[in-house]
Amino acid sequence: MAAVSQSGGSKVASPRKSLFDDRRILVLFLLAPVLCFFIVFNTIPTLWLLGLSFHNFSLTSGMPPEFIGFRNFVQIFYNKNNIWADLSRTFIFVGSAVSIQTALGILLGFLFWGSKNMPGRRIALTMLFTPMVLTPVATGTFWRFIYDPTFGVLNAILRGLGADHPIDFLGDPTFAYWAVVAVDCWMWTPFMTLMTLAALGSVPKAELEAAEVDRLPWWQRVRLVIWHHGKFIIMLGVLLRTIDSFKTLDLIIPMTKGGPGQQTRLVAVELNKQAFESFNMGFSSAYAVLLLLISIAMTSVFIYVLNLRRRKDSAAGGET
Amino acid sequence: MNAESLKRKGYYAVLWLTSLLFFAPVAWIVMSSFKTRNDILAVPPKLIFSPTFDNYLDLLDRNTSFVLQFANSVVLSLSAVVIAVVVSFLAAFCFSRFKPKGTNFLMFILLSIRMLPAPAVILPVYLMYANFGWKDSHIALILFYAMFSIPFSVWILKGFLDGVSVRFDETGLVNGGSWLHVIFRVVLPQLKPGLIAAFIFNMIFVWNEFLFNFIVGGVSTQNIPYALAVGTYSDGGLNWTFIATLTTIYIIPPIVFIYLFQKYLLAGMTFGTVRGEV
Repeated sequence: MAAVSQSGGSKVASPRKSLFDDRRILVLFLLAPVLCFFIVFNTIPTLWLLGLSFHNFSLTSGMPPEFIGFRNFVQIFYNKNNIWADLSRTFIFVGSAVSIQTALGILLGFLFWGSKNMPGRRIALTMLFTPMVLTPVATGTFWRFIYDPTFGVLNAILRGLGADHPIDFLGDPTFAYWAVVAVDCWMWTPFMTLMTLAALGSVPKAELEAAEVDRLPWWQRVRLVIWHHGKFIIMLGVLLRTIDSFKTLDLIIPMTKGGPGQQTRLVAVELNKQAFESFNMGFSSAYAVLLLLISIAMTSVFIYVLNLRRRKDSAAGGET
Repeated sequence: MNAESLKRKGYYAVLWLTSLLFFAPVAWIVMSSFKTRNDILAVPPKLIFSPTFDNYLDLLDRNTSFVLQFANSVVLSLSAVVIAVVVSFLAAFCFSRFKPKGTNFLMFILLSIRMLPAPAVILPVYLMYANFGWKDSHIALILFYAMFSIPFSVWILKGFLDGVSVRFDETGLVNGGSWLHVIFRVVLPQLKPGLIAAFIFNMIFVWNEFLFNFIVGGVSTQNIPYALAVGTYSDGGLNWTFIATLTTIYIIPPIVFIYLFQKYLLAGMTFGTVRGEV
């Protein structure tokens, strides 16, 4: 504060005229860079995508795009490999992976929160957070190695425990799906732990102490004090995980490529195949537009619920 | 010792075991990087082996592009994230202080680029870049990565800015400081945790980004994830020593980052609502 008044002090007598005294110019100056980025790298590509989705256009055919109206969209739904199976698989994936990660992450978060004096806590947390920062492409490949029926370390452990047949985790239809979910959970549970620790950190100490003095039972403490302050951050973590797991791709490609059969073919995997293996640009654009609409709907609901809760809270706060 | 301290020790032991369990696959990768090819494929897998540094020497020897790819990783991620954080800070300041019409809508629509599966984003950008002749250019890649890092940075920084009292601005202005002075000299220094958190989170993403680099980049812009994905197959099979060695080298910087900046990482995720100690 002292620095503020000192450095500004000399200017009191003759306030320097600046272009930015005009509020509108200042706002424009602050927003211009982000708007430029947004228009060039977001709006133009999105419009391009939208335009292409109404065209028949394949990169390999060498023909110019041909306008075909809604036929790409119709094809998505009436195709032999129609979108419903992939979509429901993706939603089950998102649901199961995100709920496991959230439950486990919150549990670990609470445990680590209560261990402020643990020797080597910083190293333990660093180790816990490591899966998050691995390169997904390499991680997927390496998990394939760990899951391998012959050389894999997991099967070696199972053998040690007395299993007589090696399990081909990624090739066997009964296991493949859950093997992929397990890797996703391994990678992202630490993220939910991080969010939980952050949420717990945002709870005011005084209120926790007050709850302690009032001898509230632990579940009351969690509900009334911790959840009240921390829910926004935890819900944000869930939102980010939901968005991100909806588009899971780079873990699955090296592990199963969507197989065996179609067991692990999520929407992003199918889109990747259509766009960069078949070069079917018109069709994949339509597919992408559809996914964007679904994502926007999902996120809107999430944010609406978050805001609704917040509004309710502030209304309740006003009454008391 | 008494029961209380024994309980404490058991509690800590459980936490340590959990951390080790999450770290075990990573440890397996690191261990594999010190094994010979035969040791890696041994049945049953070897826990005890005589370590060798041959894989590392081999990597530098045979893979001549390694240095270039590593440099690319550093240059691409650093410059993209720095640009993103600066741009996001300006926008977040505007959103937080002046609340221009459509602030909420803009904040939401900014997130939309994060909602799309990577191929859906890359597809139109690829066509655009191909048409404009921007492929295989560092600047074009950096700008795209910056765009990808902006939404999250804006969200984090706006949260922190909302927590910085408007009184600071007023005091600065009343004392004759210009808006620029207030923005960069008064408010900016108070955002350290938010800036560091935004920086690290986006760094992690760009550092590991593969698909966009693969599709839009070229020979001169390849980064290490590209090498990891493409160099995996050689001699007709998967080259496990290569993956293990390169992955081990490549995770060292992020691990050091999380160790050093753990506090800010946690504080950053509170989006400025932090009141106690994390």
